[in-house]
Amino acid sequence: MNHLLNGFINSLTLVNLVACFVGAMVGTIVGVLPGLGPTVTMALMLPFTLKYGPATGLIMMTGVWYGAMYGGSTTSILVNIPGEAASVVTCIDGYQMSKKGRAGAALALVAVGSFIAGTLGIMGLQFFAPLLGNAALSFGSPEYLAFMILAFVLLSNLSGEFPLKGGLMISLGLFVSVVGINPMDSYPRFTFGWDELMMGIDFLPIAMGFFGVSEILNIAVEKYVVPEVKKVRLRNLFPTREERRRSVFPILRGSILGFFVGLLPGPCTVISTFVSYSIEKKISKTPQEFGKGAVEGVVAPEAANNSAVMGAMIPLLTLGIPFAAPSAVMLAGLRMHNIEPGPMLFTTRPDIFWTFIAAMYIGNLMLLILNLPLVGLFGRIALIRPPIIIPVISLICLFGIYSVRNSIFDVWIMILSGVIGYFLRKWKFPIAPFIIGIVLGPTTENSVRQTLMLFKGNPLLIVGRPVAMSLLGLAIAFIVYKFISPFFGKLKVEEPG
Amino acid sequence: MGKPTRWSLEAAFDSIITGLGIVIIITSLSYGLGTFRRPGPGLYPFFVGLSIVIFSMVILISELRPQTRPALFNRGDVKTLLFMIVAFCLWILMIPLLGYVIVTLLVTYGFCKIMRLEGLWKPLSISAGTALFIYLLFDYWLYIDLPKGILG
Repeated sequence: MNHLLNGFINSLTLVNLVACFVGAMVGTIVGVLPGLGPTVTMALMLPFTLKYGPATGLIMMTGVWYGAMYGGSTTSILVNIPGEAASVVTCIDGYQMSKKGRAGAALALVAVGSFIAGTLGIMGLQFFAPLLGNAALSFGSPEYLAFMILAFVLLSNLSGEFPLKGGLMISLGLFVSVVGINPMDSYPRFTFGWDELMMGIDFLPIAMGFFGVSEILNIAVEKYVVPEVKKVRLRNLFPTREERRRSVFPILRGSILGFFVGLLPGPCTVISTFVSYSIEKKISKTPQEFGKGAVEGVVAPEAANNSAVMGAMIPLLTLGIPFAAPSAVMLAGLRMHNIEPGPMLFTTRPDIFWTFIAAMYIGNLMLLILNLPLVGLFGRIALIRPPIIIPVISLICLFGIYSVRNSIFDVWIMILSGVIGYFLRKWKFPIAPFIIGIVLGPTTENSVRQTLMLFKGNPLLIVGRPVAMSLLGLAIAFIVYKFISPFFGKLKVEEPG
Repeated sequence: MGKPTRWSLEAAFDSIITGLGIVIIITSLSYGLGTFRRPGPGLYPFFVGLSIVIFSMVILISELRPQTRPALFNRGDVKTLLFMIVAFCLWILMIPLLGYVIVTLLVTYGFCKIMRLEGLWKPLSISAGTALFIYLLFDYWLYIDLPKGILG
């Protein structure tokens, strides 16, 4: 409790409050606008973390992430266009509610639901993260390796329609992480005499290219249709008694489900919305209303995606392993300050963790207070046409990546990655596994080497490590399930384009 | 809808990735694999290369089935795509010479035109606004040392 109190004292400084506010607002706008997703925006925030310190940076970046989850729902409900992949499901019933004149009520319920889910998610994070962090203290390299293998198996399967493509993207990411001087034996690998490659390929320009530039190219090529926005007045924001009653349990279910789905590798926020929607439809007494403006189909997925953001923080903070692209950017931000998240974070830098927790409570409240009156403004932002927004976003990306290391080479890497990413998206190769492969590459190689040396070259000795064996067992069970599931019918979760 | 074909741009990409995997394997061998007891610098990339070859070959084989493929984009799309890439590249090539202010003005204007923003004043005001925003955010606030070029 003392830690949390200190966290509140630290986060109530002017700098941190402004960071929280800016992060949440920028995140909401990013969620509303096409072009920049939370990953790219968080990467663009990295120069700010250098100026204001790790806790402030972390607060700002998380604000962007959960702000984007909120903002995405606004356009889904008002114009039937998801600003963010995690709000695709919200379009189904959200826009139908809007057509029935219930847009204001839908937005208000989503705001309250997201607030409740976010708060419950933070409570979960506050409770589980230190516990898991302590448990992870006993992890050795075999356990880390087994955990990484399980993560890769799940990631390749949950990140798109084609697990093989997910697997290939992870492998390519692992390869990119190998380029440069190997810190263990100072041996340069795959540099081919290029000085620029000696220090390795930074993952940020690649992430910016794959998530930012490729999306910019995609929007530039696509034909733009002007959406029609439903007008929302403040007095229309009040939901009816019936709508409120029907929303309570879906919000709670979405919150709990989202938090645990957030622990999974891959696009957890997106997956949480699909799972939440299908569960609500399955248990509903009026499933025929789904698709025609059922309030449960709006509030539950939105609660789930907000809560999933908090769940996704757990692997990052307790193990130092990011399972989603935005948390990979956060890891990069912390590493820029020589802070390595993981089990030791709670003992070496408890101030960062608790300031971060406290700031998330505050940020969540800020979103609720600010967003409801500003719904009309966000609706208008959604109407800004690509010919105006794309040139500005392109320039921000160019300067943003240049400013991280003052490197023109990084800008070349970003553009090359953007062009490759554009085609990979067209061919349905999932992008996130590639980025996570790059970030987890060095840890994976360390774990492989240390495990082999620990076992004196005999990998079978892993049998004597129960935790590692259980994790490997889970990975194998999942692969077996994937092979036999076509014979029994399977649950398919697709990454929306 | 065109005729079913075996070959596609995606299959060509898969072949290149398979080739890359083979290069990684061969290069890793030259670094030395060592033994499981004492892993060499090439051991880990060797297995990464191997997994790339396996995954990409399986994808390539499945991709080579004759099938009708929708066109990725039409001629107009290609033109827009190429112009966008050229504008990005021009930013990189011109910034050391002309400095960030002039390049921002020019490239933003170029992007507006590629995105078919009509007229003169709208693109010009967006360019000027973007240049001012970049100056305030990166140069004035964050003290990033941006190339000044001929204005420096």
